[in-house]
Amino acid sequence: MKLRLPRSIWRVGWPATDKDRSAAMISSLFLHIHAARVSRHVLRPTYTYALGLIASILFVVLSITGLALMLYYVPHPPDAYRSMKDLQFVVTFGIVLRNMHRWSAHAMVAVVFLHMCRVFWTGSYKSPREFNWVVGVLLLLLTLALSFTGYLLPWDQLAFWAITVGTNIAAYAPIVGDRLKFLLLSGHVIGPMTLLRFYVLHCVILPLAMVMLISLHIWRVRKDGLSGAEAHASPVEEVAPGVFPASSKTYGLMALSKRTRASVEARNPDDEVFAWPHLLYRELLVALAVMVALHAASLTFMAPLEEIADPTRTPNPAKAPWYFLGLQELVHYSALVGGVLVPTLLVLALLALPYYDRSKEGSGRWFAPERRVANSIFTALAIFFATLTVIGTLFRGPNWAWVWPWR
Amino acid sequence: MNTDPTPPDMMRRRLFAAGCFGIGAATAGFLAATLRFLVPNVLYEPSRRFDVGAPSDFAPGSVTFLAERQLYVFNSVDGFYCISSVCTHLGCNVKRGGAGFECPCHGSRFDDNGQVVDGPAPKPLPWYALSLTPRKQLVVDLDQSVTPTFRLRA
Repeated sequence: MKLRLPRSIWRVGWPATDKDRSAAMISSLFLHIHAARVSRHVLRPTYTYALGLIASILFVVLSITGLALMLYYVPHPPDAYRSMKDLQFVVTFGIVLRNMHRWSAHAMVAVVFLHMCRVFWTGSYKSPREFNWVVGVLLLLLTLALSFTGYLLPWDQLAFWAITVGTNIAAYAPIVGDRLKFLLLSGHVIGPMTLLRFYVLHCVILPLAMVMLISLHIWRVRKDGLSGAEAHASPVEEVAPGVFPASSKTYGLMALSKRTRASVEARNPDDEVFAWPHLLYRELLVALAVMVALHAASLTFMAPLEEIADPTRTPNPAKAPWYFLGLQELVHYSALVGGVLVPTLLVLALLALPYYDRSKEGSGRWFAPERRVANSIFTALAIFFATLTVIGTLFRGPNWAWVWPWR
Repeated sequence: MNTDPTPPDMMRRRLFAAGCFGIGAATAGFLAATLRFLVPNVLYEPSRRFDVGAPSDFAPGSVTFLAERQLYVFNSVDGFYCISSVCTHLGCNVKRGGAGFECPCHGSRFDDNGQVVDGPAPKPLPWYALSLTPRKQLVVDLDQSVTPTFRLRA
């Protein structure tokens, strides 16, 4: 009788047996994005480095801190800048929330990029996960777009000129460039309507798109299983060509599907462990570590806020956010090549990648020797871009002239 | 006896398909119209045509920077002309320096006429038409570009 209320919420009590633990995972809307049982191999922290998980945690942190900031932020100049000042100096804990939002955003860009590198270096985009790689690339672009739109909101000099440079790069796109810039700015110059447009994009449109794509991304990981599990599973004898002994895992479509099961993670039940507690425990640990790191960063380092935006005075040098400084360095040589051609081709190459690299070899292992060529090309490109970013961030001073950061 | 080659079922199916297609097309049209919604019809921006003061406000031989308007106004021996301070590369404000103008963002340099000397700027700085109102005020029209031969006698 006493347990009636909690039982009406949680069908399974605090689970004590493996059967109940599976039931707890399966019967919960939030937990059932995990399989009830997961491959031992993919739980090794050195396989995924939990980068996808960290990116999701950061997104949750960004959503919560962002919602809190919205309660004080006024999306109209010059009040926008004033409300930023309030958040920093008047609102209790405002500065911590703002710092956390800013540093999480920077961290998310970095983590999503590293996650993509991990997926490439382990060959995890190969069949049947081609489309999930495409979704991942779109998520990277969304992350950058969210960061870019958020960059204007403080309405300080840093924001104004970074967005001036950024939207002028968009204007270099052939044919549609000028219209695109006009649409983004809602006019010819950055003004109140631009701020409102960026605000709505940043707070509603892009986060909604992000939630949808993250759901799709995780759903597909769940359906396809994590890469590498197959490669590391204990061999199981085939009963007949293509037919494996019945597993504990069934799909419920036996009448329609000839396959023994739809989701192939491990071929042998001994290769799997229960998600509760093995996976949940690790996720909790990672979440705690991320929160500790974010708090430490937010209490130590202040998010920059320069003087109020002044369209008549360009700071020297005017720099885009750090993750676009590689592009800005390229743009310094040629706006069309660096700002439009190179990024467009890179994105198209990334989107098409799983469809022209169709070999199945070397999936699920770090730096598989069979993938030496692909890995070399990707690594070279990643290093090239990282170098440009470092140059743009540290080695460029007034008039974009070369400076030594230690001088 | 029914000799119609199209059985009534197929008729119904075709009608249904045509209906779906029609509604789909209408929806697509509506979405396209909604895209037009994103383009503002009224811009609450500073006017693109404005007066900058009387010719006598500009000393002979001087170069005046109008920060608010992002313009350099020259009062030369041959007459008045004005050059935009908005860099054609990525929209930063160029400053007087060296032999002409310098951009702080990516290091583009322009000569006194706004022609590109060095750096990534793809085009010279734009020149805009100057005119005089009946009350003898200098008026700049940002929608009217002119060549570097332009001079206004005033």
